[in-house]
Amino acid sequence: MKFVSLVVLSAVLLTAVALASDKPEAAASASPLYEVKDGNKVDATTLQGWKTWRALACERCHGAAQEGMVGPSLVESLKRLSKAEFHDKVMKGNPEKGMPPFSGSDMVSKNWEGLYAYLKGRSDGEIQPGRLTAIEQN
Amino acid sequence: MRYESFSVLVGAAVLTSAACSNAVSAQSDLEKAMGSSSNWASQAGDYANHRYSDLNQINAGNVAKLQVAWSMSTGVLRGHEGSPLVIGDTMYVHTPFPNNVFAVNLKDQSFKWKYEPKQNADVIPVMCCDTVNRGLAYGDGKIFLQQADTTLVALDMNTGKVVWSAKNGDPKIGETNTNAPHVFKDKVLTGISGGEFGVRGRVIAYDIKTGKKVWTGYSTGPDTEMLIDPSKTMTWTNGKMAPVGKDSSLKSWQGDQWKIGGGTTWGWYSYDPELNLVYYGTGNPSTWNPAQRPGDNKWSMTIFARDLDTGVAKWVYQMTPHDEWDFDGVNEVPLVELDIKGKKVPALVHFDRNGFGYTLNRVTGELLVAEKYDPKVNWATQVDMKSGRPVVDKKYSPGTTGPDVNVKDICPAALGSKDQQPVSYDRKSGLFMVPTNHVCMTYEPFQVEYTAGQPYVGATLTMYPAPGSHGGMGNFIAWDAAQGKIVWSKPERFSVWSGALATAGDIVFYGTLEGYVKAVSTADGKELWKFKTPSGIIGNVFTYQYEGKQYVGILSGIGGWAGIGMAAGLTEPTEGLGAVGGYKDLAKFTTLGGSLFVFALPDAP
Repeated sequence: MKFVSLVVLSAVLLTAVALASDKPEAAASASPLYEVKDGNKVDATTLQGWKTWRALACERCHGAAQEGMVGPSLVESLKRLSKAEFHDKVMKGNPEKGMPPFSGSDMVSKNWEGLYAYLKGRSDGEIQPGRLTAIEQN
Repeated sequence: MRYESFSVLVGAAVLTSAACSNAVSAQSDLEKAMGSSSNWASQAGDYANHRYSDLNQINAGNVAKLQVAWSMSTGVLRGHEGSPLVIGDTMYVHTPFPNNVFAVNLKDQSFKWKYEPKQNADVIPVMCCDTVNRGLAYGDGKIFLQQADTTLVALDMNTGKVVWSAKNGDPKIGETNTNAPHVFKDKVLTGISGGEFGVRGRVIAYDIKTGKKVWTGYSTGPDTEMLIDPSKTMTWTNGKMAPVGKDSSLKSWQGDQWKIGGGTTWGWYSYDPELNLVYYGTGNPSTWNPAQRPGDNKWSMTIFARDLDTGVAKWVYQMTPHDEWDFDGVNEVPLVELDIKGKKVPALVHFDRNGFGYTLNRVTGELLVAEKYDPKVNWATQVDMKSGRPVVDKKYSPGTTGPDVNVKDICPAALGSKDQQPVSYDRKSGLFMVPTNHVCMTYEPFQVEYTAGQPYVGATLTMYPAPGSHGGMGNFIAWDAAQGKIVWSKPERFSVWSGALATAGDIVFYGTLEGYVKAVSTADGKELWKFKTPSGIIGNVFTYQYEGKQYVGILSGIGGWAGIGMAAGLTEPTEGLGAVGGYKDLAKFTTLGGSLFVFALPDAP
């Protein structure tokens, strides 16, 4: 039990502004984007995000540590992309470059915000690569 | 007793071919072209998949003098598998996606024609392990291209104009093609890729003249759709051949899982014209999480012997029932005559991803030999020769430990002791020259849901060089298929992902992932020559003769599963890197880029 880092990112607020026009469901929130403990225990939403990452085999192109392979490094991309831009890229894809559109996946539709949170945590260096588990509830 | 009838059969077959009594037995233009070692008229050089050439101008005594005769850029990055074809004075060169074709005039290397298909880019994201293409086929005055988007195209060999085209799949549900089409007699055969997208595998035969579909044989499902006759299609059962029985596939799956059950067909096929049988292997069952598909998952991971005219399966043999490791059974099945325990046997030999080298009687399907061709293979202790099933070591069985448990040090890794890189059969020594992987893995399966057109994998893998060995990730070996023994083994830094070519010059060629093309002695594996091409090699070596001179060629251009990480600078090893973990060092040696290299001896002064 070292420390629990509650990361409230200014990006969240910026994102909320960017989203206001086209993504009304993602309202501004004061709650943290993700919660992480010991680098590998995360909140339920982020955990679903990681499971989505794993189930859709994103590592095949982006690398198991999101470091980039055939696809770009998400550690880098997530420093630039707004949440709205992220949503757009994931749903529409970029077939020329090999990125599939994931709008057809229920799992992605349900969990894309968790996926964003997970990748943001990876990009921030707060979440470790590899397997994650849930933070135990007290 | 067992083998007597076969030698009779072989004898009869030889007589038949000599007499040429049958109307359909008139030699096709492909058969004529394959009859001359000046050509390289099919991907394997012959129907039997020997990848051997009688040419011997270049030989063990002079190969050290081999030099570049000419080269050309393909204009495409990404992985270059397969090899060009040579027919007469023309070479036909293919590329990975977008699958361009060049007809090259051997006189001056000018292009007689180019074919540049327009394919929807949506196909790229649903190609599993890079946008490779394993090459063209020739027959009936046409060059056949199997495009990634599941369009099979017949091009006029003289003009490059489309004669006919046929659609054999749907990329929207994850169906793509990487395989070469195969011309056998009056038909063109093709398969399907997409084992990681829940595709249902099948082989489809088209009429070579019209492109009309003649038959489709599925790998899974109802007997009628698999073209299996429950009472006549045989399989190795309790030490002898027996009919597979009714619903042999349906009974081996839970519910409708077979509909998304994989068993794809992207390998190299072979054909025995005397028996009129086509041989090929089927791929992994989908998903990679074994807990989601209880049962043997027939007939994934299976060698099929089908009648060319009807598609009906004469026999089947499943190498890896209920796969837990992604040991696709697609690897090629060369056809050879072997002396086994003093008897001449019409055999087929198959180096499976699972690390066992199999020898079967190709007439009956009887299992004769199954031995490890990499001593590090540990997932099974042996193949039980009576049941034909592997004896699985529970310690390396992700199906036993279940989902969300990481199983360590399984050998071989998912890409197998050998993947698609085809072997060469050295007719002189009677040995197989085998490019291999020497790689182990961790494997952690997890629950996945199927969505059409979305990845359906369900396992996280890490791959690394076989522990406690020479530290490299490959070996190039010589294999005695009658005994099931390694004769010699030459270590390589990386997997040998390139197809081999043995010649009557007592040498065998292959390429390496660092980009070397090498010639070694078939007698002992001693390296006699090497040349560094601009990129890593995953293509197959081929040879031909033009105006009296022998040439050896190879496509250079890294990619494919082993080279998929090349596009980015990988620096730190990290947990869960899949294929890239062990291969990250490749970035020190090579980068992307497609080119063709052709070598010859210098002209005498």
